[in-house]
Amino acid sequence: MHLSVLLLVIIAELIGPIEIQLTKGVTVSIMPLLYTMVLGLIFYLAKPIKWIQRKQARIAEGAMMLFIGVLIAKLAVSSGQSIHLIFEMGPALLLQELGHLATIFIALPVALLLGFKRETIGMTNSIGREPEVAVVVDKYGFNSPESRGIFALFIVGTIIGTVFISFLTSISVSVLPLHPFAFAMASGVGSASMNAASLGPTLAAFPSLETQIEAFAGFSNLLSFSIGIYIVIFVALPLTEKLYAFFEPKIGRDYVKKGDDENA
Amino acid sequence: MPDFIDGSENVSVHGIFNWILLLAIFSVIVVIGNFIGYQHPISDSLVGMAILSLITLAGVWMERYLPFNISSIIYISVMGIVLAFPGMPTSEILLYYVSKVELLSIVTVFLAYVGIGMGKSWDEFKALGWRAIIITILVIASTYLGSAFVAHVILVMTGVPA
Repeated sequence: MHLSVLLLVIIAELIGPIEIQLTKGVTVSIMPLLYTMVLGLIFYLAKPIKWIQRKQARIAEGAMMLFIGVLIAKLAVSSGQSIHLIFEMGPALLLQELGHLATIFIALPVALLLGFKRETIGMTNSIGREPEVAVVVDKYGFNSPESRGIFALFIVGTIIGTVFISFLTSISVSVLPLHPFAFAMASGVGSASMNAASLGPTLAAFPSLETQIEAFAGFSNLLSFSIGIYIVIFVALPLTEKLYAFFEPKIGRDYVKKGDDENA
Repeated sequence: MPDFIDGSENVSVHGIFNWILLLAIFSVIVVIGNFIGYQHPISDSLVGMAILSLITLAGVWMERYLPFNISSIIYISVMGIVLAFPGMPTSEILLYYVSKVELLSIVTVFLAYVGIGMGKSWDEFKALGWRAIIITILVIASTYLGSAFVAHVILVMTGVPA
């Protein structure tokens, strides 16, 4: 399996980043990191490739937990190097965690319109990575609709989140006139792999600020995992409950097909 | 318990020897990718990866054997930040070698493993349907953009030059 990974990496690095011009001024850059991930998934799913099966996926998953450490170590070294900047930007770093709440106002009404009920609370309170899943399961119980909602979010996010945030970032950096550091901080909203996938296009767009961007991204991701979880517990979940109570009688719909969400 | 929860809490590959072996394999692959993609000298980036691997190893070891309920991510971050702190005797040599390893080289290899590990969730993913996908995309986009806008406003308010 490790040899296959080596092969994937060599192929990906040889191809290098590809830039696609959507319209004038809007470029989407596809980084080698996306090829390796998608190819990895294809290797698992492809029937003729017999040497990568469920067992290897389990090993890969375990190994991943260890390799995250290397990634974090690299980001931490960048943060240590720019520690004075981190202190200077403290307010922005902390307050951008509150920006995560935007999801409640946007995704919650849509989820209700699509016919979700209590699942909505699990699905739209946050970006739904491991720490948030743990909070929701802890609060509502494993078999509650709220937990079903966040499990669904977690699984879909696992599959498409990394690819999606990479596209989202490369479009955002070329369209939105925001501060480079703001993009760096925003890249830390989700899991470590989402953080990494979002960093790629950000670094490519502002190559001269490499160390600072890595520092902010790493620190922001660390905050999402530490402080972010308290924001979910004390702010996001109560707020989601309030908005749910407000919107549900107005725009909530009856289940169209009941069986649809049962296996979530 | 579904396996994606306990998998996230602990390193599920046991034994220090096993960890070292995995980190060594990982380092070699990263260094090769680092050489092909960015032409950094192999020997320097190998030292860089060795440093990062040692920090990681220390971090996961502490999570296991120290009596505090702290995740290895926190230990690793603190060690990395302190060792690279300007003025620390370690910082100069550490920065020299670690800067030879591009973040994106690490990420590229890391995500290959993520891709393989992801395969396990594929069937569950297919069962969920388009409504869950729409919500997920909305959630990620609004969290990301919300965070970026707030950060931007604060940065501009506190007068950070772009």
